[in-house]
Parts: sequence; C-alpha cells; structure tokens
Amino acid sequence: MRGFAALQGAFQNAILTGDDAVLAGLLDGPKEGREALLAVYRHAYSARLVEILASDFPALKAVLGDDGFETAARAYVSAHPSTHRNARWYGRGFADFLARTEPWSDRAEFGELACFETALADAFDAADLGPLTLADLAAVPPEHWGDLIFSVDPSASRLDLATNAIELWSSAAEGADPPLAAPLAATEKLIVWRDGATPMYRAMTDEEAMLWDEAARGSTFGELCVLAATFAAPDEAAGRAAGYLASWIGAGLLAQARPAEVS
Amino acid sequence: MSAPTSAKPPFLGFGLGLRAEHYADILDGDPAIDWFEVISENYMVPGGQPLKMLDRIRERWPVVMHGVSMSIASTAEPDLDYLNGLKALADRVEPRWISDHLCWTGVHGKNLHDLLPIPYTRESLDHVCDRIDLVQNALGRTLTLENVSTYVRFAEADMTEWEFISEMSRRSGCWLLFDVNNVYVSSFNHGYDPLEFLNGIPQDRVVQFHMAGHEHLGTHIIDTHDREVCADVWELYRHALKRFGPVSTIIERDADIPPLAEIMVEVEETRRIAAEVLPPESLARAAA
Ligand SMILES: [Fe+2]
Repeated sequence: MRGFAALQGAFQNAILTGDDAVLAGLLDGPKEGREALLAVYRHAYSARLVEILASDFPALKAVLGDDGFETAARAYVSAHPSTHRNARWYGRGFADFLARTEPWSDRAEFGELACFETALADAFDAADLGPLTLADLAAVPPEHWGDLIFSVDPSASRLDLATNAIELWSSAAEGADPPLAAPLAATEKLIVWRDGATPMYRAMTDEEAMLWDEAARGSTFGELCVLAATFAAPDEAAGRAAGYLASWIGAGLLAQARPAEVS
Repeated sequence: MSAPTSAKPPFLGFGLGLRAEHYADILDGDPAIDWFEVISENYMVPGGQPLKMLDRIRERWPVVMHGVSMSIASTAEPDLDYLNGLKALADRVEPRWISDHLCWTGVHGKNLHDLLPIPYTRESLDHVCDRIDLVQNALGRTLTLENVSTYVRFAEADMTEWEFISEMSRRSGCWLLFDVNNVYVSSFNHGYDPLEFLNGIPQDRVVQFHMAGHEHLGTHIIDTHDREVCADVWELYRHALKRFGPVSTIIERDADIPPLAEIMVEVEETRRIAAEVLPPESLARAAA
C-alpha cells in the first residue's frame, strides 16, 4: 500500500505544484515524451476548474471579459485546490476570494456580482421544503399568530449590495454591453430565492429586509410586529408585518410555520 | 466479506448520456432513445430542478447511474458520506446499475476532478479489489467499472491494463463498462493494438459500452467528448459487438453539446451497426 499511496501523492503533487519527481516513475510514450504526456493532466486540471467557474459565473465572465475572467479564475484555482468531491460546490468560495484579493477587491462590484450568481445557483438546486401556504396559516387561530415562528425557504439568500451589480448582471444576461460599475447611493437590500422551479430576485425595502432577517433568525410574528412599530407608524405596524408575511407566502419565500416553544 | 452478487444486468438497447441541454427536447418529444445514463453527481444536490427532471425521465425510460467521483482506486480513506449520498440517490432513481471509473481523483483531502491513472500492479489490484468490496457492500449491489483514457504509463506496472481489469472483475465480481473510445485513445497513446485489449477482456463481464469523440494531436489523443465518434472507433465498436454480443450502449457528449437531433444520428448509428453485426434475435429486449 505504501508504494501506491506515495505514488498517488507524488502524482497529485506534480499536477498541483509542478513538482517533477513523479516523472522518474513514468515511461515515455511511443510518439511523445513523458513530460509532455504528464502535461496533459497538468493542463486539464486548471482548465477544468476554470471551465467550472465560467459555467457558474457567466455574468461575471461577461463583465470581466474572457481574459480578465481567466486571470481571476486561475488565481482562485491556484489559491484554492478543490476539496469537494462534487464540482458543483467548487465555486462557493469565489465571491469571497474576489472580495478579499487584489486587484479584484478594489472593485466591489466583482465580488458582489459573484455573490449574486452564487445565490442564484444555490437557489436553483436548494432543498425542496414547503412552501408554506395561506391555507396553512388560516388553519392557525388568529390569537396564536403572535407565537408563530417561520422557516424561510432553503433557497432564499439575502444580499446587501453597495454597487450596481444587479444592473451589471441583467445587462450581461441580455447579452448587452455592461454599464459602468458604480457605487449606489444607498445599500440595495436584495432577496434571491426559487419560486417553483425558477430562481427569482427582488429588492426589499429597509423595513421589509429588517423584518425578513429577524424572521430568518427565528423571531416570532409578534416580535416582528413590535420591531415594525419601532421602524415606522406604530399603529399600522401589525398590518404592515401581516402584509409582508402574505407577500412572502405568495412568493414561496417561507417553508414552514410553527408555534414557538414555550420556555 | 464477500460482495453482494446480483444477476447480470439486462440488455437495454441504444441510449444516450443525459445532459441538461436536452431536457426539453427529450421530455417534449419522443426521441428513439432506449435508455439514459445520468451523471450521478449532477443529481447529488439538495433538490430543485435537476431532481425533478430526473424523476420525469425515470418515469419513461430505464436509467443507469454513472459517477465521476467515486475515486475507487484512491488510497485516501473511503468517503462514506459520498457512498451514503450515492445510495440515497439510487434508492430514489432505482437505476438498472451503478457505474464509475477505474481511476482515482485525489488524495490528502483534495480533489482534482479528473480521472487519474493507476499503475497496473499486484499492489494496486489488491487495493482496488478491497475498495470494490467495500463499495458493493455499502451500496448493496454490484458495481460496474469503466476503463479510462490514459496519457501516461508507470514504469512499475507488472501487467497490462486488460489483465488488470479482467482480474479485477473476476476477483471482485464487478461488471465492466467497456468504453470503446477510451480503449482506442489509450492504445494509441501507449502504442498497443486495441484489439489485443478487446480480446483480453472476458466475454461475459461487459454490461455497457461507451462511444465518444476525441481530439487527435498527432503524437497523442485526448479524450474530449466534444465531437462525433471517429471512423476507427466505429470500427472498434463492430469488433466489440462481435466479441461481447448485444451490450447496452450510449453516446457520451460532454462539451460543445449539439442539438438532440444531431446526437440522435449517432445513437441511430450504434443501433444500425449492431443490427448489421449481430443476429436480430440477439437484440431482443425485455418489454418491461
Ligand atoms: Fe466513458
């Protein structure tokens, strides 16, 4: 076992680091030397991972351009060998990498665009749970609504964007020339999720985003109403909270509701 | 521990590797495809559209699960989470069989997402056979393993690839997926006669053929699956049919994926050649 395991270690090393030690154990081919043949594996490794990223981040690729994307993707591949068995998850750290690594970190729109595309991909194949329906809610006596806590749909992600990343994304999705990247006057509060089979996104108002984030953290509906009262007109707060709740249910954003445990 | 043995899988006819690009044309139409091979990892996701599509395909066609990341030859610790996930998918899909590749994809917690070569030695054979036992017990069924295209050979090899594969199948009980294109690619890259490989594989162990295209670079061939099957590989397919008889066959295309109608020409070609080479009664399939 030792010999085989050591050989695999050396072969993997040859691909990941360019170390040539494994060449000593390889044979030349009939028409090509072993170094060129080993290079087939070396080349395929980075090319495949770059290709995986390109298919997961098509809008980012359109915005960065082919060469710019290739440079960014290769930098990520060098810094992050895959530890996932399923290539589906390889791009998970790409947005974070772009947000933290120069020169991409100087342009917040790159990381935000990648973050948005990650959220879309996650929405696409997130677990099927729920959805919560208005009929489910109607089965709960109104006097118990205040104690309800909600499970948000597994497909939902909330993003706060400081740039016009969504504008960049939609122009890329339409195949149009991307507009200039620019910071927004105020943070855009976005929700990304899947309704039925379709990944969706929309903006939330500050109040709605605040209530959503609290609901996702497990606050009861009663607590959401109290929170809404601190935000704007207190006597209409319960009505506004109920309105958000109805729109979330209508859009398939909530998976379940259950009474809070009495402690 | 002895491996679970199951009866040899049936002849399913002439099929296609399922790709998301073709979902709509397949489900809205009635293509002359007898069965589908699906990439297991594409459906080892929490939920959503991929699994719904797979359920719909499964309602109308026999399905076989083909994995790319089992890494059966890896010396890393076995990944039981992966095997449990694969089994959960199999419980949902009820595939006619489950296949993966005779290769490894990484060690030390890393994954290279490639089908990496192994030295054909007694040591690696023992290791692979132990792993097949483990996988077959975890899945509760016989595994099917495919020969891969390789670009390098190891100096320490003490047997040929076909000797290794034959012995592996005999010892572990695993079935074989004979990738006709991979035999062609590897035979060119290493300078042997593909018929020697073909004739070195036992006649009764092969349950599936793969047909695919490659890129010929003059000094070596790369297994790209990005184009149509070449004439030499069609010729080798004829030989494979003569030796192994009717074997469930698919066309694999993984890059530059053309419209379904274009791929159907190749599916029809697998059917036409089999009808030419084999007696009609041998191509009968079970009705259910
Ligand atoms: Fe294959």
